[in-house]
Amino acid sequence: MQKTLRSGSFKKATAIFTTAAVAALMGTFGVSAPAHAASAVHVKVWAWYPNFKEVVAKYNATHTDIQIDWTNAGAGGDEYTKLKTCIKAKSGCPDVAMIEFQTLPTFSILNPFVDMGKYGASNADGRYAGWAWAQATSGKVVNAIPVDGGPMAMLYRKDLFAANNIKVPTTWAEYASAAAAIHKLDANQYIATYGNDPGWATGLMWQGGCLPYKYNGTAAKATVGINLNQASCKKVLSYWGDLVSQGLVDTKPFFSTDAGADFDTGKYWTWVAAGWTPGYLSGVLKTTTGKWAVAPTPQWTAGADAQGDWGGSSFTVMNQTKHPKEATSVAMNLYPPQKTIDAGSPWDIGLNSAFLYPLVTGVESNAAFVNHTYPVFADQQPNPIYIHASKKLGAFQWTPFQDFIYSTLHDETAQAIAKKEPWASVLDNVQTKAVAYAKKQGFKVTA
Amino acid sequence: MKRRQVIIGWLFVLPFVLVVFFFLVLPLIYAGYLSSQADSLVGGQHFVGLTNYIDTFKDPLFLEGLKRVAIYAAISIPIMISVSLTAALTIDVIQTRLARVFRLIAFMPYAVPGVVAALMWGFLYSQQFGPIYWVAKRLGYPNLDMFAPNVFIYSISGIAFWAWTGYNMIVLYSALQGISREIYEAAIVDGASQKQIAWRIKIPAIKGAIVLTVLFSLIGSMQLFTEPRILSRYTNAVTLGYTPNIYAFNLAFNQSQFNYSAAVSFALGLIVLVVSYGFLLRSRRMADK
Repeated sequence: MQKTLRSGSFKKATAIFTTAAVAALMGTFGVSAPAHAASAVHVKVWAWYPNFKEVVAKYNATHTDIQIDWTNAGAGGDEYTKLKTCIKAKSGCPDVAMIEFQTLPTFSILNPFVDMGKYGASNADGRYAGWAWAQATSGKVVNAIPVDGGPMAMLYRKDLFAANNIKVPTTWAEYASAAAAIHKLDANQYIATYGNDPGWATGLMWQGGCLPYKYNGTAAKATVGINLNQASCKKVLSYWGDLVSQGLVDTKPFFSTDAGADFDTGKYWTWVAAGWTPGYLSGVLKTTTGKWAVAPTPQWTAGADAQGDWGGSSFTVMNQTKHPKEATSVAMNLYPPQKTIDAGSPWDIGLNSAFLYPLVTGVESNAAFVNHTYPVFADQQPNPIYIHASKKLGAFQWTPFQDFIYSTLHDETAQAIAKKEPWASVLDNVQTKAVAYAKKQGFKVTA
Repeated sequence: MKRRQVIIGWLFVLPFVLVVFFFLVLPLIYAGYLSSQADSLVGGQHFVGLTNYIDTFKDPLFLEGLKRVAIYAAISIPIMISVSLTAALTIDVIQTRLARVFRLIAFMPYAVPGVVAALMWGFLYSQQFGPIYWVAKRLGYPNLDMFAPNVFIYSISGIAFWAWTGYNMIVLYSALQGISREIYEAAIVDGASQKQIAWRIKIPAIKGAIVLTVLFSLIGSMQLFTEPRILSRYTNAVTLGYTPNIYAFNLAFNQSQFNYSAAVSFALGLIVLVVSYGFLLRSRRMADK
């Protein structure tokens, strides 16, 4: 994968491995439809949510007019490869496709979506988190239905901080001091690893007040704003660059086998990560389950309350569909606005088996989610921290070629990690390359 | 009669011809057409002639990837082929049951699909689970990281060595079987040692097979894709244009630049053709001398 690292993709990595083969076989006929649904409209769905099979089964069992034919077409980039191919070929696309927020404009510029606003999708009742709805829509055009998000917070080894009498950082300055203190205790231990995941780095920059992109595909399709080398963005990358250069932060990529194990061995003490990350950690931790806790993301200014997001995804309806109305209904009701979270209901599966962070506000504020406990965090109900972060998130926009920017950011950062270029020039170089690319693609570029 | 034979002959090759036409020739023509067009995200598709190719050969990412696979080939092929050759000559001489078992074992990695092999090596190279790091640490190299950007190309060479050495050995061993045993008897009567027989008779006799294995390895190296693509999530090394094939893939499927991607693919194909032909020409000239 060149690499297109995508946040949402990897949380589900373990699930993918086990379900990929099954999913491939499931295809169109794996999900058995009730006998009375012979006249039902069949809607093809591509998605890679963990435990999605159960969600589809639940949907099919409770609907007679619509039946879902689900395919796991791969996680993140693997699915996008197939989507881009079927869009280019003008045939072969599913009716409903799962797409991450940062990739929505990258697709919408290819005009593959149905405007779901025409078929009843709206946020008039505040059903979805505002920041996510803003990313799912372009002006009045509804491109996507938000499902899960990744508001960020700091996971940390509560036991190690306490035992070594190091203060759990609340500001980035304290975080840097803690990084030095930890590495001084043991040269083989670090406060964190700089996993070089562009989605993660973007979340951190977002939290630092860096909103580098401006794009409105409905109002001005050919105009894009790119301002990656502004001070608020550079501040964040220089901060991490300093920690990496001083050897206080490791550089193993996130979600690699070794990094996963290192979270369990005490090599890494913290991870400022997303609302879905506890799900990933639950899968990789063996000996340190229960020793972790969650704290708000450290702040740039003491006492401030700035938040960021890493990842999240949505359902879109592709305009190759013959059933836009039914497909929209599927997109809205696979993870529906539930008032109660009964056992076996879609959000029960989403929250308790798949560890999704819900962007459906009724679920987000439901006691079943707010008071949820996880084995990873023995004596803590962490969700109020994530909920607070999600509520503080403001508008954030993406470019219609986010893949290019992410892979360029990844490669330039890799150069900096390898000491082949200074950290300070990473964002300058990404900016230069992104602007050149945008112009070559025919865009008018503004700051 | 003759005419009927011709028709029957064509019927026999028809399935093959159809597959080649529909899955090789037609896509090539289509890709060739694509590579002559330009298509931007904003604005339509239009004819640009050879512009995409000119851009390709000036593209630092393409050239960087090309340089990398050239270095990779220069490291891995000589080692791999000389080990294959040595092994083939050895089992040709010993000819025992042990040799037969060894032949099978050495060939086995070839039967493992490339994706599976790459995933497996992801674990073998791991610092947490891998035997290589375990040994290195005890030998006093606790910082060995097989996924470090400056080490990763050697790690891939290791996988290729594992996968292809046995295969090449079998090819060379088969060629050795084709040499008449009488020649060896004559050489032994003339007082030649086994070493002299190997150098003076066997290696010159299977020169064609050696050239073939080198050529196939060369083509395979230049098209390097599976291992770095599968292992990219373990390392920071694999960049957008890590190898030309990875670059072409990313251009098409991450950036929707299908036209430029087609040009990059054709450019790589052209370079592979030139390099292979050059290599063949050179080895033939050397053989003539």
